[in-house]
Amino acid sequence: MKTMEKGQWSPYFAGALAGLVSIFSVWATGKYIGASTSFVKSAAMVENLFIPERVAVLDYFVKNGPKVDWQWMFVVGILAGALVASLSSGTFKMQAVPDMWKSRFGGAIGKRAVVAFLGGTVAMFGARLADG
Amino acid sequence: MNELIYGLITGLAFGFLLQKGQVLRYDRQLGALRLLDMTIVKFMFTTVLVAMVGTYLLKDLGLVKLSIKATILGGNILGGLLFGLGWGLLGYCPGTSMGALGEGRWDAIWGICGMLVGGALYAEAHPLMKKTVLTWGDYGKITLPEVLGINHWILIVIFAAGGILLFWWFERKGL
Repeated sequence: MKTMEKGQWSPYFAGALAGLVSIFSVWATGKYIGASTSFVKSAAMVENLFIPERVAVLDYFVKNGPKVDWQWMFVVGILAGALVASLSSGTFKMQAVPDMWKSRFGGAIGKRAVVAFLGGTVAMFGARLADG
Repeated sequence: MNELIYGLITGLAFGFLLQKGQVLRYDRQLGALRLLDMTIVKFMFTTVLVAMVGTYLLKDLGLVKLSIKATILGGNILGGLLFGLGWGLLGYCPGTSMGALGEGRWDAIWGICGMLVGGALYAEAHPLMKKTVLTWGDYGKITLPEVLGINHWILIVIFAAGGILLFWWFERKGL
């Protein structure tokens, strides 16, 4: 058994509660939990500021338009919920480079930024292609 | 409007639990991919098992409808490979990148920016994908119980038993 850190709940317990949250959501609003579509909507919002004519002609943006919806608010809620939880247990920490990354690749912010950015780009393209 | 408030509250609860379970951390996510630390697998699989039982129960009672996505092997496999590659580089998935930012791990911002670019690129590529990758192995909206022609509760029991066995093994191995 892994030792628990400060403020950490058992992953089984926290995971089971997350399952209950998911069930409640489907029962109360018919909404299934997801996140990646909201990044497409946000991309549409940003693009809409600069090249709205392009956003208007892309099928995928017409279907997933620059609109705040249930899932978009859910994704914002995740940020807020993590902030509340980390502050309440004293585990909030401003950190530019994760520990495991630092021990392997060093503490340079630029290197981490480039790899994280590329990773995010590829991951989101894949997530939308798989329709996950 | 009501729907937006429900979204925010659900997200708050979910983000709170993700943080408490410590699954937002880069070290945990890479730990799982490197088969060193199964914390996020324990969390995810428990969530899936609980939600599976509850959702099917509500469905059998006629209270909810399932939301089934199409099985398209081309998109699922190629997209899955790309997602895995990107996830390994970033160390956060779309939902957890927001949570990681919430607990101060601000390297998630680079990932979030990348994801916005990835979403925009996919919107450009979608017409081409629809003509190619998304026509390969398109089985439509199928489910395992339908394909196997057995009652969903049999599969749920099998998945739950498999999950518990897996958890038992993780704990024995100190993962």
